[in-house]
Amino acid sequence: MRAYVEIAVKKFQDKMAYRLDFFMGIVNTAITIVVYLCIYRALYGNSVEVDGITYQMVATNFVITLGLSNAFGYNEMFLQDKVRDGSITNELLKPVSFIFRLLAENVGEGAFKLIFHFLPALLFTMVHTRLCPPQSALHLLIMFGSVVLGYLILWLLSFIIQTWSFWLFSVWGIITIKNVLVNILAGTLLPLWFMPAALRRLISYTPFEAIYFTPVRIYLGELSGAQLLLGVAVQVIWIAVLGVTANVFWKKGVKKLVVQGG
Amino acid sequence: METIIAVEGIRKYYKVAKRDRGMRAAIGQLFNRKYEVKKAVDDISFMIGRGEIVGFIGPNGAGKSTTIKMLSGILYPDAGSVEIDGFVPYKQRKQYVKNIGVVFGQKSQLNWDLPLIESFELMKFIYKIPQEQYEENLKLFSELLDMEPFLRQPVRQLSLGQRMRGDIVAALLHSPELVFLDEPTIGLDVVAKEKIREFIRYMNKTRKTTIIFTTHDMQDIEKVCDRLIIIDKGKKIYDGSIDEIKNKYTNFKTIEILLENGGKETETFDIRVTPMNSVLQKLFAEKHIKDISICEPEIDGIIRDIYEGRLLLDSPAMEGTGV
Repeated sequence: MRAYVEIAVKKFQDKMAYRLDFFMGIVNTAITIVVYLCIYRALYGNSVEVDGITYQMVATNFVITLGLSNAFGYNEMFLQDKVRDGSITNELLKPVSFIFRLLAENVGEGAFKLIFHFLPALLFTMVHTRLCPPQSALHLLIMFGSVVLGYLILWLLSFIIQTWSFWLFSVWGIITIKNVLVNILAGTLLPLWFMPAALRRLISYTPFEAIYFTPVRIYLGELSGAQLLLGVAVQVIWIAVLGVTANVFWKKGVKKLVVQGG
Repeated sequence: METIIAVEGIRKYYKVAKRDRGMRAAIGQLFNRKYEVKKAVDDISFMIGRGEIVGFIGPNGAGKSTTIKMLSGILYPDAGSVEIDGFVPYKQRKQYVKNIGVVFGQKSQLNWDLPLIESFELMKFIYKIPQEQYEENLKLFSELLDMEPFLRQPVRQLSLGQRMRGDIVAALLHSPELVFLDEPTIGLDVVAKEKIREFIRYMNKTRKTTIIFTTHDMQDIEKVCDRLIIIDKGKKIYDGSIDEIKNKYTNFKTIEILLENGGKETETFDIRVTPMNSVLQKLFAEKHIKDISICEPEIDGIIRDIYEGRLLLDSPAMEGTGV
């Protein structure tokens, strides 16, 4: 366990090494959020609400989803590159689980971006746009937990595709398709409230809704009591399903591994 | 001597996609792909005793790295068995790798952006090295390898020689009993090479670490190893001491002559077939010689001749010279 914590901490420090990247990250997150808010401000015009959803809720949704999706980005070509240049061997020579080691590293990076990119961008947004307050302190707290679960779902989706590098040698295309799907189906492009009912229903059967939208709804108080528990339970189930799948692909991939350049 | 590594008839075949040149072939291979089988390792067996230091050599593509990868547990052999210190490496990988250290000279395992010392710290946690042992090893290793001046520099700013020393230390901090060094001196200058050789010898002498060492530099082998395994085209062609291989070829001499017109010529021959006397007489009769020197065969030359098929290791004396 200690090893994984250290890996996360090292990655955190590692990110500090690049000063320009540090400042650009804040600007990047802030600009993304502001652009979306401007578009939706214009779309709302003088209306107070659309389909029962206020501009304030939309703004809150975007601050959370865009802010998190920026913070949760990392190098998804990691495993592919390691397989291609053969340095995956160095990973397999360590007495640690690769899945947890990679997760730890990505979490380290995510934590860095949450604190140093997302928080400043959030403060900047709050200066010019009024956001919805959390339903209650408890909802806020549960939302934090739900964000962690959402991250794990997102991470596992990416990891599963990354493990396909063992067979395909290039997964860039599939990763890109996955990211488009996440953008559309997880609500980073269009809040899921505005999706046609049929599509919305379809999305609720996929892991995508559980990534960002469940935490957003918990924060806003749309999910409370039994519904809230159900929302979190769905997240946990997806993590279990994806976790088992990821493990199977990883194990099979390692077995099949042909180290290039050997 | 107690056996630490027992390798029995291991094979590793790769299926390589074969493709002709040109557009037609490029499109054709999308539908009907032809493969050929490349025998990277083809029935290799050997035993290595605890505390031995073995040079593992062969021309490029001979199967050295593939063998090392099977021994270190990251490649499954297609046939045969490997047992190392009670483990079957590729089946009990995670348990097994705790007790070994591996350096792939061409693939650094250090964290590119962090100071060297941070990568070492990480090893401490990954291998659960007790603090005392960690500090003791780090102090000793950085003295032996002269690493104090660059311990706090980011790895990306290190020279190749510094980085390689860093990689070797990272692989040895947990005091493994068995160490695989795959081309640890590749691309290094003489001084850096010498430092690394001294260090390897020291580890072997004082800690009885078993070391398997691949290289293309015969100086490495001569200065560091007691025993030599040569493989070529996936097969073991020699296993024995370096002195033995040299003795066998003391019958081979090389004459270098400097002609009066400034030209240089060399000639290698077997004195059992053509005695020195007859060779010299012929030379003196045919050429105007300004200077002449007779050289003992050097291990470099011998190995080159073996690789190029000019020397054959087929005499009975060369068989079964292993442990």
